[in-house]
Amino acid sequence: MSYPPQPPPYGQPGYPPQQGYPPQQGYPPQQGYPPQQGYPPPQGGYPPPQPQQYGGPQAPLPQTAVGGPVVHDAHTLPANDNVNPYAFSVDLNGQYFLQKGKMVAYYGNIQFHGIGHGPLDQLVGRSFHSPLHAADWVVAEGQGRMILADRAFDLNSYDLEDGNLTVRSGNLLAFDPSLSLKQSIIPGFLTLIGTGKFVAASNGPVHFVEPPVRVDPQALVGWADCPSPCHHYDHSYMRGVLGGIRQLTGLGGVSGEEHQFEFIGAGQVLLQSSEKLMAEINTGHVPNEAGIPGAGAPSHTPQQYGGQQLPNVNIPGLGNLGDLGRRFGL
Amino acid sequence: MSRIGTGAARAPRPIGRMRATLSPVAQFRLQGSKVLAVDMTGDAVKARNGSMVAYTGQMNFKKLSGGGEGLRGMVARRLTGEQMVVMEVKGQGTCYFAERATEVNLVRLNGEALFVEADNLLCTEATLHTGTSFTGLHGAASGNGLFTTKVEGHGWAAVMSDGPAIILRVSQGMPLRVDPGAYIAHTGNLNRNFRSGAGFSTFFGEGGGEAMQIEFVGDGLVYVQPSERVTVGGDV
Repeated sequence: MSYPPQPPPYGQPGYPPQQGYPPQQGYPPQQGYPPQQGYPPPQGGYPPPQPQQYGGPQAPLPQTAVGGPVVHDAHTLPANDNVNPYAFSVDLNGQYFLQKGKMVAYYGNIQFHGIGHGPLDQLVGRSFHSPLHAADWVVAEGQGRMILADRAFDLNSYDLEDGNLTVRSGNLLAFDPSLSLKQSIIPGFLTLIGTGKFVAASNGPVHFVEPPVRVDPQALVGWADCPSPCHHYDHSYMRGVLGGIRQLTGLGGVSGEEHQFEFIGAGQVLLQSSEKLMAEINTGHVPNEAGIPGAGAPSHTPQQYGGQQLPNVNIPGLGNLGDLGRRFGL
Repeated sequence: MSRIGTGAARAPRPIGRMRATLSPVAQFRLQGSKVLAVDMTGDAVKARNGSMVAYTGQMNFKKLSGGGEGLRGMVARRLTGEQMVVMEVKGQGTCYFAERATEVNLVRLNGEALFVEADNLLCTEATLHTGTSFTGLHGAASGNGLFTTKVEGHGWAAVMSDGPAIILRVSQGMPLRVDPGAYIAHTGNLNRNFRSGAGFSTFFGEGGGEAMQIEFVGDGLVYVQPSERVTVGGDV
């Protein structure tokens, strides 16, 4: 999607591009990103990734008049909204994609199908473009209210409106089939395109930051638009032989923050408020062709917590035979 | 119906009425959402062994074992594997309990029974009777064990959950299905059925991912946590 060039976010004077990013004045902490509370709504007129505002710790849990906690039933569970910061309730009427094992409870009549069954072929063809990691995903089908949760991590839902958002594979929990899921060119990430809602987990509340920004790799959850995610290295004191030794061995001290991800251009970057990574899930193989990053190999090390990943048989010259290995649990 | 308290903002309890009872009654309250504070005046509570984090006043800690009292309880414990090592805390003052920074949920029992996974029971008033109950087949398949702990009587119980518990009502015509790994407790008149969604396809790599479910039918409340402990059923 496209949108007009925006005024610099957060009322900053903008980063003078001709100077690069001089560390001493590039990111003035006093006016740059003031310490924020809770989930700041995205500013600067970028509508799509609106987190459903669930106030986090500062908003008290809704209480009944009598005191005590809320008792939910099928009618009082929120429809497509958070039950609390760690649980999300889907008002299911049709189909929904979710990661294996993230359903906690449900009311109503819901079936869970593995991806790859005949009746779902059309749906999968429409919305699921990363077929080789289909073993990690299921389709919930039916009517009812379904609660999703993931190891008590913070959950947020995001509405995309004709937009795109790329998210770390392990953080994506569920999505509406009106969105389509694709593997990102960047290994370990998945991209959602279209209009609809999806649910993502994060370790701690999610913060929205507008580029230009450099972020710690472990804190990155995803980004919307921003066509230029790239690596950035602080090499200023890594020069010369001693610097090389220092970088290779860590002797002499490295701060551990010499490497960042850099985002420029229009968009939003999603950060979690901790550097604890969620376990990655496999995003599947990509075709073994020249020019494709991570070609021929699983895009990342197999997950530890995600859904079970069955081994895939790859026969040289024949490929994986239409994924037969996975289908037969080989 | 049980009165349940959790989180920070609980409406004032009818303390006057409780104080009016003859025997001293331990007062359960939450200090934040992860620490249980119990005010005691010479009475006792039963708590998970080693869960005391601090206390004021005079306290005595005595190790007990769960699964019911006496010889019968001991045999039951041996048989069921529903092990719960508990301690009896008795004294005057305030005792604070917490376990691995899990959320604490207060449950008020007025004569009815609370069924809770032994791993999730933090503390009960000594007046409550704890025992072991057979849960049917679901436990065996889910890895939760065949037996859960049953807490009965009048008083407070504190239940732990990984993330704040969500309380779901089950009523006639509105059954609830729960992932075994997320189930922590239930009260009321509920029937548990083990539902298997596992079929041919599950074992051929195309499983629905939610093959094991517990179905609750009847009238009551079910507590689930926004997290799934690892079960044998696991991710099938």
